[in-house]
Amino acid sequence: MATTVSPRAKQYTDELDRLWTERPGVLGWLTTTDHKRIGIMYFFTTLAFFGAGGVEALLIRSQLIGPNGHVLSPQAYDEVFTMHGITMIFLFVIPMTTGAFGNYLIPLMIGARDMAFPRLNALSFWIFLGSGLFMYAALLQGHAPNAGWFDYVPLASKQFDPGNNIDYYGYGLIFNGISSTIASINFIVTIFKLRAPGMSLNRMPLFCFAFLAVAFALLFALPSLSVAALFLELDRQLGFHFYDAAFGGAPLLWQNLFWIFGHPEVYIIILPAFGIATSIIPAFVHRRMVFFPLVALAEILVAFLGFGVWVHHMFTVGFSTLTTVYFAAASLIIVIPSAIQLFAWIATIVTGTPDFQTPLLFIIGFIVYFIIGGLSGITVAAIPFDQQVHDSYYIIAHFHFVIFGAAVFPILGGMYFWFPKVTGRVYHELTGKVSFWLTFAGTFITFFPMHIVGILGMPRRNYTYPPDMGWTLLNFIESIGSYLLAAGLILIVANLAISYFRGPRTDPPFEGDTLEWATSSPPPPYNFAVIPTVRSPYPMWDKEDRERDNQRLERGEGLLNLEHATPATTVQDAQLDEILSMPSHSPWPPLTALALTGVFAMLVMQHYWIAFGFLVVGGLTLLGWHQNEEQA
Amino acid sequence: MTDAAGQVPRSAHAERSRAAAAVDRSRAAQPSGWWGMALFLCSEATLFGTLIGSYFYLNFGSHRWPPAGITPPEIPGPAISTAVLVGTVPLMVLGAAAARRGRRWSAVRWIVAAFVIQIAYLATQVLLIRHDLLDFTPQGTAYGSIYFTLLFADHAHVLLGLLLNGAVLYKVARHGLTNYWLIGVRGLALYWYVVVGITVAVLFTVLSPSL
Amino acid sequence: MALGLGGCGKQSILSTRSKPAHDIALLWWWMLAAATVVFLGAVAMLAVAWFRRERPGLPFVGEREDLAQGMVLVFGIVVPLVALIGLFGVSDVYLVGQTAPPNPRTTRMTIDVIGHQWWWEVRYDGGRAITANEIHIPANTRVNVVATSADVIHSFWVPALNRKIDMVPGMRNRVLLYASTPGVYRGQCSQFCGLQHANMSLKVFAQRPDRFRAWLAGQERPGATPQGAQAAAGQRLFMNAQCASCHTIAGTPARGTVGPNLTHVASRTSLASDEIPNTPKWLAAWIRNPQKIKPGDRMPDLGLSEPQIAQLVAYLEQLR
Repeated sequence: MATTVSPRAKQYTDELDRLWTERPGVLGWLTTTDHKRIGIMYFFTTLAFFGAGGVEALLIRSQLIGPNGHVLSPQAYDEVFTMHGITMIFLFVIPMTTGAFGNYLIPLMIGARDMAFPRLNALSFWIFLGSGLFMYAALLQGHAPNAGWFDYVPLASKQFDPGNNIDYYGYGLIFNGISSTIASINFIVTIFKLRAPGMSLNRMPLFCFAFLAVAFALLFALPSLSVAALFLELDRQLGFHFYDAAFGGAPLLWQNLFWIFGHPEVYIIILPAFGIATSIIPAFVHRRMVFFPLVALAEILVAFLGFGVWVHHMFTVGFSTLTTVYFAAASLIIVIPSAIQLFAWIATIVTGTPDFQTPLLFIIGFIVYFIIGGLSGITVAAIPFDQQVHDSYYIIAHFHFVIFGAAVFPILGGMYFWFPKVTGRVYHELTGKVSFWLTFAGTFITFFPMHIVGILGMPRRNYTYPPDMGWTLLNFIESIGSYLLAAGLILIVANLAISYFRGPRTDPPFEGDTLEWATSSPPPPYNFAVIPTVRSPYPMWDKEDRERDNQRLERGEGLLNLEHATPATTVQDAQLDEILSMPSHSPWPPLTALALTGVFAMLVMQHYWIAFGFLVVGGLTLLGWHQNEEQA
Repeated sequence: MTDAAGQVPRSAHAERSRAAAAVDRSRAAQPSGWWGMALFLCSEATLFGTLIGSYFYLNFGSHRWPPAGITPPEIPGPAISTAVLVGTVPLMVLGAAAARRGRRWSAVRWIVAAFVIQIAYLATQVLLIRHDLLDFTPQGTAYGSIYFTLLFADHAHVLLGLLLNGAVLYKVARHGLTNYWLIGVRGLALYWYVVVGITVAVLFTVLSPSL
Repeated sequence: MALGLGGCGKQSILSTRSKPAHDIALLWWWMLAAATVVFLGAVAMLAVAWFRRERPGLPFVGEREDLAQGMVLVFGIVVPLVALIGLFGVSDVYLVGQTAPPNPRTTRMTIDVIGHQWWWEVRYDGGRAITANEIHIPANTRVNVVATSADVIHSFWVPALNRKIDMVPGMRNRVLLYASTPGVYRGQCSQFCGLQHANMSLKVFAQRPDRFRAWLAGQERPGATPQGAQAAAGQRLFMNAQCASCHTIAGTPARGTVGPNLTHVASRTSLASDEIPNTPKWLAAWIRNPQKIKPGDRMPDLGLSEPQIAQLVAYLEQLR
């Protein structure tokens, strides 16, 4: 990165600034198509939902701190634990990793100036926001979904849940799924087509491999959820009988459809965390990832194999032994690509010279908790054992170690790691370390005892428990742990927030091996003045190439400054193929999202004709979208 | 100022049919818009795979399929109308090929021809469904639920295709076969190939009790 | 961890009284041991990274990329493959046969258990004896439990005796209950089934076979005729107030099936699916205000006066 720029280079970069700088102010943000701004909007929105989900968790733990608690009534408890699951999965972790981290970083890492479809990118954000507000409108009304985040029928059918709680769930998931589907398409096309010339597929950062796998997994998993939710709403609203045993339907159809989505979903949750880990580790241990190609392959394999294991969520429903054994085998096979990655990370850390700053600490924490969560996952691939602990707190322990310990820790570490790049300021390192230890301890104290209390027979989703079961002390400890964990998380956010306003403004104190570190901090609106040439998977460690880029800037070569342009390259070898003209500033994405929000709001209120009207409005906004002829 | 390498086209500037066709020829890889449509269609195909899978899940889980009191589906009507729809595929192929050669009005004519036949197909299907509804309803049995949902989902995609036809034809006729709308025509053709394929799969599924 | 487990806890999967549960517990201990070894091994590697943080490369051999890659292959592929194949063989080929539904020819009796929101219906011998929330079985006898549901999905789980089995409407799932010693074993619904899922527990009484037969014979008799004016008034009240519309008492006009069969309610040790003890005081409290004990339960507040409640209790207490 050039900290001193010659007058000639400045002339070129000023021109690029003029082409790419977006409008300031609220209107500028509302109509933005800049992937960095969209990433930032996703970041703050998902952080807010993380807070909401966290409050829900604290309410649950406060209710369960002792037997016969009175913090929440049974009705409120059922809504709170359901919303906790929905919020954390659909409104926090997926949009945070894909929408915030993915959107901000992927174009930068591949040497592009934006995503392949900038307006669709904005649309996916506004739809996500709409779907989140839609779900929370339910909570504010007191009709939040209340049958658990996986919402089994017949409990979730009209007969047993007559209000519109479940309708917020069914419509909300379809609504949210549209955002993720659009985002996946955008990620895949961006990664395939917009990589800088020379960045062939085998020179792409591991972070991008992880996100490519995530995007394909989302694309193929979401339809199953949408069909499940469609059937649910048709049963509930129009009296269809997909799930109704009395009329030839099958309650288990819901479970199958849900988990065909649900299992890939958990790999979708964790793969971006793997990607973040593979970005942070080389930066702090000063060497490249051990066995890079095998790690890339393992990342893809995890996503692919994840589609074949879903019945392991259903080992107790009464399937034949043959069926359960097949899926147990598949579930065990998937351990291998995860183990490959785990030991690649460990080998890289051992053979490097690690500098244990805050981001790396979070990755160490991630590794430790991924091992614990992975091991408990292996134990429940032992069918008879699972048939004892299924639906008990043991399972809650397992998935919180893998989702919180293993998916969220890299997010927290990533927040620290890229904070200097995104903001141009430095956070407070000692506070960062303290925030890590607090969070690490809080996580352990909250979730580890759950293994024990589950083995002692405590079922999950219970709003209270009797005092003489031997569960009281463990629940008390877990609840104290949750307050500690909350303190750690608050400290992280406080550290970053205060540092944003008062941290020293300097170059980042560390640097990764991928191209986002070649830009200024924060990156300019056009990302790269000169489209970088790439000749290895570690572009920042190819100092001659980066120097050559600077020289080309001086000579005015490779600027692509005749318009709002970025290059498109071929899929495998990244040979330059054409120059794309990218859109900027469009009102159509937020307007389309608004129309779609209207559709779902009217559906849940059963005003079907008005819903159709909003659909027509949405069609009109799409016509407006296509008035001009920039790329989508 | 020169671009990265003087040879690759700045594709947005191809606003006449011949220029757009030249850009299309010069590309080594499929354009982003084509990829976007292809991936969207992967998602839709998976959607239908799930719907069809659900049909057979309910089928294999029940003792009688269709349940007692419902006549198994008739083959001729649906089969013939679907065959006619399949006949629009070569028309779309020719339309896309004409567009890729820069032949704007030729492309429009082929697409219009397909458009007319597709409308006739949808109208026929509506009549067939109304006939079915006299015999059984989606609210009566799970069989009815999945049968009508599968057909309705398919026809919704055909209807969407008709709307896309209209939009693309309008734009190509009014604004010309620019690079953007050439990709649009190719995407539209791709859409129809997959939707027609899905329709055939749906046909075999709903007729399976009678096959 | 061992302190918290090993035998203590009223619903622990490690307090086993049957071979399937015992085998599962043993499997758990072996898996825990293996997992601890793996975990400590990985933590040890990270500790090595900490201590050697100034020097690149592996301990002893230095910067050998091929060995580092070999480490990934060995620990990432070979060792897991061996361990997982072993685990698969033991648990998913051998042990899974133990928890599979029992072959009907190998069981001596069949009990139907039907899940309701939020209580357990228990039927013996095709309905000759019907009770609720309490299952009696003869010890040392292989009992075939057929589990289904009358409404939403529940799950039948008595950890001391065997795995859980889901109760799905339209399905008849089966699980083996075999208690090696007489005793009382607690179970709980373990599939979220609505507002009072947390309070849907049950008890299994494994009895000596002669005691079991005596119990069953008692359960097969019709409901006792009320003795004394208070109880007789109670029976009349039962039939005329809403009780009979939800509950059955064999031998009387009461034929309701929404709530538990009360023909022998006084013979049970608990009420409200094992939430409160079966004493006159608690029975009265339940009748007086069921929503206070199980908010959201199907039994409404009946608005009965204290004398009426006393009459009902007097009658029900005689239904042994």
